[in-house]
Amino acid sequence: MAGGGDIMLSTGALVAGYERDLPIVRGVDFSVRRGELVVVLGPNGAGKSTFVKAIAGLVPIHSGAVMLDGSDVTAVPTHQKVRHGLAFVPQTENIFATLSIHDNLLVAAQILPKDRRARRVADLYAMFPDLAVKPARRAGALSGGQRQMLAVARALIVEPSVLILDEPSAGLSPKIVFEVFERLKAINATGVTIILVEQNVKAALAIADRAVILVEGQLRHEGKAAGLMDDPLIAELYLGARPHKDAHR
Amino acid sequence: MNPQALMDGLVAGSMIGLGAVGITLTYSILRFANFAHGELISSGAYFALLVASALGALFGGMSTPIGPFSFGWAVPVAAVVAFALNGALALLIDWLLFGRLRRQSATIIIMVMASFGAALTLRSLLEFIFTSSPAYYSRSLQIANSLGGGIRATPDQLLSLLVAAILVVAIHILLTRTAIGRSMRAVSENPQLAGVVGIEVRQVIRVVWLLGAGLAAVAGVTAGVLVQIRPQMGFDLLLPLFAAAILGGIGSVPGAMLAGLIVGLSEAIAVQLVGAEWRAAIAFVILVAVLLFRPQGLFGRAE
Repeated sequence: MAGGGDIMLSTGALVAGYERDLPIVRGVDFSVRRGELVVVLGPNGAGKSTFVKAIAGLVPIHSGAVMLDGSDVTAVPTHQKVRHGLAFVPQTENIFATLSIHDNLLVAAQILPKDRRARRVADLYAMFPDLAVKPARRAGALSGGQRQMLAVARALIVEPSVLILDEPSAGLSPKIVFEVFERLKAINATGVTIILVEQNVKAALAIADRAVILVEGQLRHEGKAAGLMDDPLIAELYLGARPHKDAHR
Repeated sequence: MNPQALMDGLVAGSMIGLGAVGITLTYSILRFANFAHGELISSGAYFALLVASALGALFGGMSTPIGPFSFGWAVPVAAVVAFALNGALALLIDWLLFGRLRRQSATIIIMVMASFGAALTLRSLLEFIFTSSPAYYSRSLQIANSLGGGIRATPDQLLSLLVAAILVVAIHILLTRTAIGRSMRAVSENPQLAGVVGIEVRQVIRVVWLLGAGLAAVAGVTAGVLVQIRPQMGFDLLLPLFAAAILGGIGSVPGAMLAGLIVGLSEAIAVQLVGAEWRAAIAFVILVAVLLFRPQGLFGRAE
């Protein structure tokens, strides 16, 4: 769902990395509009995951700024960012495997007022009925697709304004990837702004409004998602796609 | 074998279990073996001694034994105060030492060595203040009553078992049914993800120190009531405590308590079968056997 013109989240000259001397993200200017679904693409080691982790507060930011809905959240601690409306789903270990499905949802709902928690958990069960079948089941026993659904449900429970997902398709079968992406599309349609880091370029571009391409920690391209795969130079250089025959003629 | 060994083992095991619950909580969330936990048992016992003595001096009637027990109301009141004071001491140690090391991303071995340093400092401080002579909450003598089957127990011993059982159930309920308990379990599994979902990890760490040190204080008071209070008392329990925490499975509160009882019973039975000089070796044998054959413990999950 392409939104209006107002900026929901932006980064300005963002420099981030685990060590100050070796920044992985190097001066990224990025923005996403309210209600937009933007996919962050790029080759392996481009700094895509580090970029979104820095936004979420999991990787040190050395300079630059992160603005969320008009507020500067650069120095806001990780646990406070979710209170500002930013939900993050990491690529791996994105659920509490030793906790039950229900406790995974409850632990995320704890930042909500007490009288809203039970209703939000019920809402999420309605949205993800598979999770409601055996809520006492240990989350670690779920399949890859169910885990991803639980991770997304866990993130949505606080009704975030921005949802960031780091490679939600990793390790999933094509059928499950399709289901996960369809679900993301539906979530985006409710007005949630989504930033999606993906290696599965084709599937991601199919649901995205816009795409940005990171290479060596820098933003090299941004534009509409539609038709990006047909751009032979972009496809060949950054997306790992086979070059279009005509491009070599 | 004398059946009395069962009661002796259960009583010792309940003290070991309470201490092991504290160790398993701090280990699972702070991710290092805190060797100063034994000294927190001693400090808790001494905090209670100070408070009980002060209450006894201020209100003479509080030292009069309650019913069949050897101590007056001063001791249970002092135990509650010691729970809080010992928690505050643990927070102070964390602020002075462990918290600073965490911020520097210290490795586990540095945290463990720091805990050895904290243990030595705390023990020396207790010896300096209270001397190494044993102290007592009460000098009243108790007669053990027959429970049948050749087993005898004093009212104090039976009360210590009851207190340990109540506390373990309470901690288990706290961990499984409350928001702070879920947060503790979440931080224990994945502190980074816990932060992402909005849990303030530092707050959880503070609660864990308070709870672990508070339980250590109760274990110290129990040991002080049943035996005596010495600066060395916690250090002497350290090996059984770790054996129980690891046998129970790191992070499992019921596991730590059950394992504490197993270690206590094993020690008591070993005293009967092979002699008192082997008592200390039993905890070590259990520790090594668990690490070799079931490192995840009784209630832990294999990685």
